[in-house]
Amino acid sequence: MGNLKAAAEVPQTTINKPKPMAELLRKWGLPAVLLGPFLLLITVFFIAPVVLIIILAFTNMDSAMVWDLNGLLNFKKMASDPNLGEIMLNTVTYVGLTLALNIFLGLSLALLTTYFIQRETVGLVIRTIWMLPRISPPVVYVLLWLWFFDPSEYGVLNSLRALFDMSATNFLVDQPMTAVVLANGLIGASYGMIIFSSAIKSIPGDLFMAARVDGAAQRSIIFDIIIPAVRWPLMFVTLWQLLSLLTSYEYILLLTKGGPLIETEVMALYSYHKAFQSFEYGYGSAVALVLVVIALICTFIFWRIFGMDKMIKSSRVE
Amino acid sequence: MKKPITAVTMSALLLTSILSGCSNGENTPAKANEGTGAAAGGKPEVVTLSAHTTGIELTRVDNLVKAAEKLNEALKAEGKNMEVKVETKSFDGSWDDSVKQFMLASKSKKAPDIFAIGHEYVGMLSNGKYILPLDDLKNSQAYSDLFPVLWDSVTYQGKIWGIPQDTEARPVFYNKGILKKLGWTDQQINELPEKVKTGEFTLDDMTKVAEEAKSKALAQYGVVHRPTDGPDFQAMAYNFGAQLYDADANKIVFDKQAVQKQLQYYYDLAQKKLLPDNLTTMEFKNVHKIVVNEKTLFYYGGIWNVNNWASDAYHDTIGKVDAKWVNERFGMMLIPAAEKGGKPVTLSHPIVYTVSSGTKHPDLVNRLLEFVVDPKLQTKHNIKTFHLPITKAAAEDPTYKADATLGGVAYMSEYTTFLPNHESFNKYSGSIYKAIQAVELGKQTPESALKDLETQLKNDLGDGLIIKN
Repeated sequence: MGNLKAAAEVPQTTINKPKPMAELLRKWGLPAVLLGPFLLLITVFFIAPVVLIIILAFTNMDSAMVWDLNGLLNFKKMASDPNLGEIMLNTVTYVGLTLALNIFLGLSLALLTTYFIQRETVGLVIRTIWMLPRISPPVVYVLLWLWFFDPSEYGVLNSLRALFDMSATNFLVDQPMTAVVLANGLIGASYGMIIFSSAIKSIPGDLFMAARVDGAAQRSIIFDIIIPAVRWPLMFVTLWQLLSLLTSYEYILLLTKGGPLIETEVMALYSYHKAFQSFEYGYGSAVALVLVVIALICTFIFWRIFGMDKMIKSSRVE
Repeated sequence: MKKPITAVTMSALLLTSILSGCSNGENTPAKANEGTGAAAGGKPEVVTLSAHTTGIELTRVDNLVKAAEKLNEALKAEGKNMEVKVETKSFDGSWDDSVKQFMLASKSKKAPDIFAIGHEYVGMLSNGKYILPLDDLKNSQAYSDLFPVLWDSVTYQGKIWGIPQDTEARPVFYNKGILKKLGWTDQQINELPEKVKTGEFTLDDMTKVAEEAKSKALAQYGVVHRPTDGPDFQAMAYNFGAQLYDADANKIVFDKQAVQKQLQYYYDLAQKKLLPDNLTTMEFKNVHKIVVNEKTLFYYGGIWNVNNWASDAYHDTIGKVDAKWVNERFGMMLIPAAEKGGKPVTLSHPIVYTVSSGTKHPDLVNRLLEFVVDPKLQTKHNIKTFHLPITKAAAEDPTYKADATLGGVAYMSEYTTFLPNHESFNKYSGSIYKAIQAVELGKQTPESALKDLETQLKNDLGDGLIIKN
């Protein structure tokens, strides 16, 4: 009622007494007050850091923390950096394999806990177990992996190998990237699992019943009904995880520190190491800026080429 | 109308609470000013100075608290109604992280007045204007008997940027029991440090003995070194005649011939299977366990390790081991010379007191640093943490002289070397360590590692590098 009354009053006020400021305030006052704090936070914590990184990338800021602009020197240095080729390759391997594991595991778990296991309580328990690493601090989670891969004969992996008369191995040195992908892939799967589970649950039950009546095989139900129905969540999770993985390095830092040598050093970690280990803040920012550009290109590809922009258009069903 | 008012109030509250969380606390009164103005009532004005260090050797800062007592007596005698209090803190992390914290704290004007750090950081800290020059203290009476060579460790571009707090020896520990099993007599074992000193027992001899012990299965490993980047590796470069720094040009020197020999040495150790597999990826505690459990013949360690082994339970059955236990089982020698008849080496890495450029009381800090050099305080630190004195007076202290462990390595100061103080030395050191890691893991030969190292250093250091072929 109140809204109707207010709406009725507006044209009258406009006609009788044109007050542009008051009108502007009336129109934008409340949204400004409500959105103001959040806009401020976004500016301070999201936009400002990006702007700072862009500026920093064109300086030679080192441990003295002085803003000395040096043009494109950091980017020229990057072009001749002997490590960067291997690091970029590592990034592609790490992001590609982890993403594949994330999505595959996430979807498998969602199918298991919503389609194959029909009892909600059992599905819930399984999903909760998979969520546990997500809610534990990264340091604790990685510590468990470090114990698992411990090179001594007391490590979990080596104890298991001993059962089959296999010698102890130092997995983190022999297969560092596999270890990093496993640690990241398993924890990342829970995100996709939750989104895919809810998407599968929202598929009308009639479709499954009709498929069964028509004698459709399980494989056919999964690939012809479920996967097409979760196409958009699949796309969203893939993009989201891709962007997260490009910029994530904390698990690698804790697990292998990018080593041995630079075998698990990825772009984001290299940026961190350059800035906070070698105190080359300018160069570290330039590496981070390249990473931002790569992320933007990936987003664009998903948006335009895979048609993700259609996802936010209004539904055509109605 | 009520809704907008409520919304405004809520938003304002939210904003205030969020922004208050972002406050950097600069409005809080600086600690150093605590008590200012209280002097009027006869109560002494209290000046609080803060001192930070890193690690378990707390005497580095606790000695400053003791020195403050002496300073207060002096202030009282001078008729000044003032009292100095020292607040101490030790950072439980790496030296690198510690210096990072100090730099960030300096930028937010929260740096401690006195900061104890490895001497090689003074170049970086002075370049960033984080610390004050301390040339006046060099000329002070209190430091007149400081071993002159130690001033080199704190000199950067012609100025003094820190005051040495202690120094140490980085000996090679050798296991007497394993040598005995190899057929060495007690006399031969005890004479080994002397033979190293004269250049009779060389680095090659050391490797050969290690090979013998390993082949006869008397030791699990022949040689063990630290598992992380550190000054020890540069001591080996000096042993092969490397020049690491050109002080006149203020540039780092990449001495290719010496570095090639340095890499070849570690490559050979790994190829001969004298080192534990993947040593460079091990945790330090595992290296301590290997040494204390007598699994290696030689260990490139530091004299302060005796304190580490007494502080933590590394021995599988005994747990913590004391200095007596260590001296019975291990001998300590210089790093044998690379050439027959050559001069053996060791490297000292003095921890130094630096003074924050943000201190409000530079004069009081300087006076405090004059009192902390007191031989008794030095001895307390040296005995407790197994470090060497920095002044002649402290070297003559009877308690220090009576200590078997320290007494046996005091001569090593004559053979010592230092890391350069150049601000980019950490980049050089980090790259060298990666190259050592590559050759030890068998991923590269010394030749290819050297080639990659040159490309890397040229890229990282640019004009700040001199390449010596």
